[in-house]
Amino acid sequence: MDTFERYVRAGLELQGAEVDDVDLAIMRAADAVYGPGFEALQSADLSHVWSEPDLDPGHPPKPLA
Amino acid sequence: VSHPQDLSLRRQALAVAAGELDPGELLAATLARIDERDGELNSVVARFPEESERMLAAAPPGPLHGVPVAVKDMFQLPWRGPRDGSPREALPPGESAVFRLLRDAGAVVVGVTQMHFWGGGATGHISAYGPVGNPWNVEHVGGGSSGGSAAAVGARLVAGAVGTDGGGSVRIPAGFCGITGLKTTNGSVPTSGYTHGYSSMGAIGPMCRDAADARLLGSVLLGRELLPSEAGGLTVGLVRDPFWTDLDPEAEAASRAALDAAGWPTVDLTIDAAEHALVATVLRLTLEGLPNVTDEELAEADPLMRALVKYERLLPAELLMRADRVRALLRRSVVRAFESCDVLAWPTIPAPAPRIDNPTITLPSGPVPADAATVRQTGIGNLTGLPGVSVPVGTHSSGLPLALQLTAHWGREELLLDAAEHIERATDRIHVDAVPPIAAPSAA
Repeated sequence: MDTFERYVRAGLELQGAEVDDVDLAIMRAADAVYGPGFEALQSADLSHVWSEPDLDPGHPPKPLA
Repeated sequence: VSHPQDLSLRRQALAVAAGELDPGELLAATLARIDERDGELNSVVARFPEESERMLAAAPPGPLHGVPVAVKDMFQLPWRGPRDGSPREALPPGESAVFRLLRDAGAVVVGVTQMHFWGGGATGHISAYGPVGNPWNVEHVGGGSSGGSAAAVGARLVAGAVGTDGGGSVRIPAGFCGITGLKTTNGSVPTSGYTHGYSSMGAIGPMCRDAADARLLGSVLLGRELLPSEAGGLTVGLVRDPFWTDLDPEAEAASRAALDAAGWPTVDLTIDAAEHALVATVLRLTLEGLPNVTDEELAEADPLMRALVKYERLLPAELLMRADRVRALLRRSVVRAFESCDVLAWPTIPAPAPRIDNPTITLPSGPVPADAATVRQTGIGNLTGLPGVSVPVGTHSSGLPLALQLTAHWGREELLLDAAEHIERATDRIHVDAVPPIAAPSAA
């Protein structure tokens, strides 16, 4: 059992959810596609960036104070 | 023209208004065409002739008086609750805002269109009602999640349909099916009675054969007239990385040729954090919807969707917070981009529609699941909230359509449709007037 499978099984067990081999195979495939992007996002330096607390996606962002 | 559904949406509206086309006959012909032509395509999940006839009988004067339209399976109708591509009602029957807008414009809702299960994919090959085919080749996907709307319009079952776009779900299937799809500015079309009305990513939009029809249906949905203007003097912003990279060479060439034909000057731009737009889209789009999924629904969901929900439930919360910071960067950066251009342009789809039995796109970098490959091109529009239009610009050597996406400043839907019409004229309308095999005269 590799790290990914241990993480999935432990995480879902904590949530009270079951996982079978089909679930695991699909999740592994999804992680192969999106995992590198998630890792890049996780390691990006966003410490200087503020999200928009009053986000209105229908309009431009308000100028930063 | 031998069948009224071979007319454009605007021609149908004009012909009914002029008394040249009987709306009862138009409705009957439309229902008959759906019956005759939708078999393998599987774009319409429900039709309800008696309700449509009642709607026609009560139709007020309006810009779409007596004209049949279809709506994606995400909107409440008084006689039918939306299913969201799943086996059960996501909302009870009722009057969604979209229904009221269409009704008050005189339109006749003639059918509900297929969609990807829960709206959770760009292919439309997973649904409780079977996969949606592509009118250019029914063995290929119609796209998602508004694939049924795109396929129905492409196959000339209806001339106008309503779609929704949370990560590209109007633009991607429009691109795959060779039609024109407009993602409106987020929040500009009212969302009551829309199954994903909770989402900060979703927008509602018209899906039609060309920009003039999208202008007509879009005006009804937006509640304001999208008046045409000349778009000859636009400046186009090109964001080469990531949106012009790793593309099928024919898809790239078709988009470049359309821009060349338009004759607009271009300027190269960069957008901060664009490299994170795909995963930020996936995080926002999927995690916003998770609280809606009950254990009961999960148990009866398609196995792929069930596993993906479990995967999403394990994603660290910090990633969503980071996605929101990326979103802020993107939104501030596009404001700066529009200081030096009028529209942004890049291919809507990086390659033509993949096969239903293998929804993978082959790019220069290798095979990529179609969801990831396509949402990379469209998700930024949902994160920023900007409007975007997908314009047919070519046919791949496989015989499937190719498309260019134009994105404009918040609220500038008119400009996008002006630009789309400019491209149509510059390319002699050969792409918007192209007829897919399923709609060719011999197939009628």
